[in-house]
Amino acid sequence: MPEGPTHSTVPTPGTAVPGRVVAGSEPWQPGAAAPEIASSAGGYVFFKPAEAAFVEAAVARLIPADELGGGAIEADVPLFIDRQLNGDFGNATRWYMQGPWGEPTKTQGYQTRLTPAQFYRAAIQAIDAVSTRMHGQAFAALNGDRQDDFLRVLESGAIALDGVDGQAFFGLLLQNTIEGFFCDPVHGGNKDMIGWKLIGFPGARYEQRFFLKAFNQPFPLPPVGIAGRREWSR
Amino acid sequence: MRKGAVLAAAVLFLTVALVGRAVGQPKTIRALPPPNVSGARFSPQQVAAGRYLVILGDCMPCHTVTGGAAFAGGRPIPTPFGPLVSANITPDRETGLGGWSSDDFYRALHEGKSRKVGNLYPAFPYIHYTKVSRADVDAIYAYLQTIPAVTSDPKRDQLPFPYRIRQLMAVWNWLFFEPGAYDPDPNRSAEWNRGAYLVQGLGHCGDCHTPRNVLGGAERRKRFRGGAFPGWFAPDLTDNRSVGLGSWSDAELLEFFRTGRNVRTAATGEMGEVVAYSTSQMTDGDLRAIITYLRSLPASPEATVSLPGREAMAAGEAIYRDQCSACHRMDGSGVRRLFPPLAGNANLQQANPRTVARLVLVGAQTMPTDPRPTAFTMPAYAWKLSDRQIADVLTYARNSWGNRAAAVSAEDVAKLRRQLKPRAAIAPVPRGSMLHPAPGTLAKPGTDSRDNGTAHAGRAAAPEADRNPRNTTGPPGNMDLPKHKPHRHEAQGPG
Ligand code: HEC
Ligand code: HEC
Ligand code: HEC
Repeated sequence: MPEGPTHSTVPTPGTAVPGRVVAGSEPWQPGAAAPEIASSAGGYVFFKPAEAAFVEAAVARLIPADELGGGAIEADVPLFIDRQLNGDFGNATRWYMQGPWGEPTKTQGYQTRLTPAQFYRAAIQAIDAVSTRMHGQAFAALNGDRQDDFLRVLESGAIALDGVDGQAFFGLLLQNTIEGFFCDPVHGGNKDMIGWKLIGFPGARYEQRFFLKAFNQPFPLPPVGIAGRREWSR
Repeated sequence: MRKGAVLAAAVLFLTVALVGRAVGQPKTIRALPPPNVSGARFSPQQVAAGRYLVILGDCMPCHTVTGGAAFAGGRPIPTPFGPLVSANITPDRETGLGGWSSDDFYRALHEGKSRKVGNLYPAFPYIHYTKVSRADVDAIYAYLQTIPAVTSDPKRDQLPFPYRIRQLMAVWNWLFFEPGAYDPDPNRSAEWNRGAYLVQGLGHCGDCHTPRNVLGGAERRKRFRGGAFPGWFAPDLTDNRSVGLGSWSDAELLEFFRTGRNVRTAATGEMGEVVAYSTSQMTDGDLRAIITYLRSLPASPEATVSLPGREAMAAGEAIYRDQCSACHRMDGSGVRRLFPPLAGNANLQQANPRTVARLVLVGAQTMPTDPRPTAFTMPAYAWKLSDRQIADVLTYARNSWGNRAAAVSAEDVAKLRRQLKPRAAIAPVPRGSMLHPAPGTLAKPGTDSRDNGTAHAGRAAAPEADRNPRNTTGPPGNMDLPKHKPHRHEAQGPG
């Protein structure tokens, strides 16, 4: 047999037409994996205190705790966003970040010259500046209704912030909040799988065949994350 | 020499004799090089017979490096003291076997003595090849003398002092080596004798499948009851029904040797190589003879094992359901010829769990063969499961669905992990590595990249509001909001 993928013509059972066998395999190395890097424990590494105060206040308005259970704060969403901004996402490591910088279309996604980390920094500073000018207080110190009003206007695009696109920032913040609420817990959010338990998502599981015929019965296994669940350890 | 001194010297060799084979699994199976039989030295029949005997002896993978010339040597066999490197056995005059007579060659296979370097190390399985008949060795010689000569002089003696003193192997030989060609058993059938000749001789199956004593000598009384070597445990081949081949049918064994898989298991790593280069290319007659012989190996005694702890089983069950059931199924039944069943799996229930702990740590890929060309992969778990978790999931699988075997200890897994050094092969993307597709058009720092490709290229970035219409959304509505200001931040993009 030659090196590399081998090809040979063999008769396919039950047909007169010879099938072609393409042999060979994906490159494989013992021990190779693309590990999820677990987010580190501990306090904020990216956010400065004022920024953390804004994010904590804002995400608590976007996904509040209610009669169904905990919200973004209980799920550790601010921690998730902090770690994301400190990592590849925040630094746009895998993104193309050069020009040209024409007016983007709606479907073009993230379009600023700032990395997400720079974008958060600039936007939070600008938002607190507006809030202080309007209400004499930073966003985090406003009462809940005022915060909601502020966020609504931010979302509508009716607010002009110093140097950043407020509407785009609202979109990013909402997206990251949802991500932090439903992400795999290995990334720091969705603490205790609070988001998954809320919607009954079984997590990173691959084998459902066993339960296919169990009609109208609840799925019996608890949710599991990439890094496992408590029952994996004794 | 006094016996005490002999033993002391022998202990020295313990680890050299205990070496395993190189761990690198070849990516693809290569054909043996065609011989040139135009000269009158050897008959074409003898050369053709020699080629087949080289397949029976599995000589090629040990003597060939991935991507290198066939039989040119250089494949390192790791030992705790440094690599032991195989020799060039092509007919090159200077660096290979070109100057060797058939007597020289016979001495190497029969006695473990090299015309070039003196005593050979038993990593070259001469303790088995000694059983091969002179006629067969001469045929191998004929084939190896007619393949293309390759100049290649791998540095063979890389072992540090004192392991590199080859004369000391005489002591080891004196203790553990019984030279002598195979002596047929007149009370057995011709087929059985053929099988014994192949398994004990060229096939050198016992090199891996027979346990060794602390000095690296084969434990003759425990023949084929399973043997450990670095990174692997070759399973029991006796008639034992749980850990041996006792519950396999002849047809299942034949399919395994021909294709590398059957409804019970799949060959990988070291055994994958044996199947790919050797058994899958054997004649059915020889495979049937091997099976006849294996069938006659008396069952190894049943091991007494104590019940595993309840915590280990509970943790193991949780891990198994979440991580392994996708392929091996919730009930351990697997998927025929794709993912081996774990229920009733002999390899899983070996007294020594090294092979299966290895599979969970670093994963495995089934060896593809012509009849079964698709290689299925078991993922590596070293990066996500702790030693304790790997021990527990194996303990669970070894004691579920009718299986029974001793619990696996976290210490054993830890030791194996240190030895295999699994690492994530996919390096993280370095910061800022996204290169501009056409660097020539890249804006200089402080310039406006929108001007790239225009006559204004290189102009300093202008801070006027109208340069970025995106941010000019006016402040409508009734709220008293500030007017839009120039966007300083936006001018400082990451480029
Ligand atoms: C398990 C791996 C392995 C297999 C299988 C194997 N060899 Fe080797 N062989 C070696 C190693 C390693 C050496 C070098 C040993 C040493 O330097 O002491 C060697 C050395 C030799 C030598 C001595 C060469 C010299 O220059 O000293 C000959 C001859 C040889 N092998 C022939 C064969 C033949 C023929 C076969 C098949 C029937 C075979 N080998 C199968 C590993 C192997
Ligand atoms: C280089 C070491 C090595 C040699 C030589 C070797 N084996 Fe194996 N064998 C293994 C290992 C390791 C395994 C377990 C891994 C696997 O199944 O792929 C194995 C598995 C097997 C199995 C499957 C057993 C089970 O319970 O799953 C059979 C059968 C077998 N070998 C037979 C043979 C025969 C017959 C020979 C000689 C022709 C031979 N082996 C030579 C290392 C070896
Ligand atoms: C993506 C599919 C997949 C998953 C998930 C998987 N395996 Fe495997 N497993 C395989 C394949 C394929 C093989 C055959 C590899 C080979 O050639 O030996 C295998 C082989 C094995 C074997 C050896 C069986 C034999 O016959 O020699 C054991 C034991 C095993 N797996 C245990 C596990 C455990 C424990 C887990 C979970 C931690 C697991 N596997 C997860 C695909 C998988």
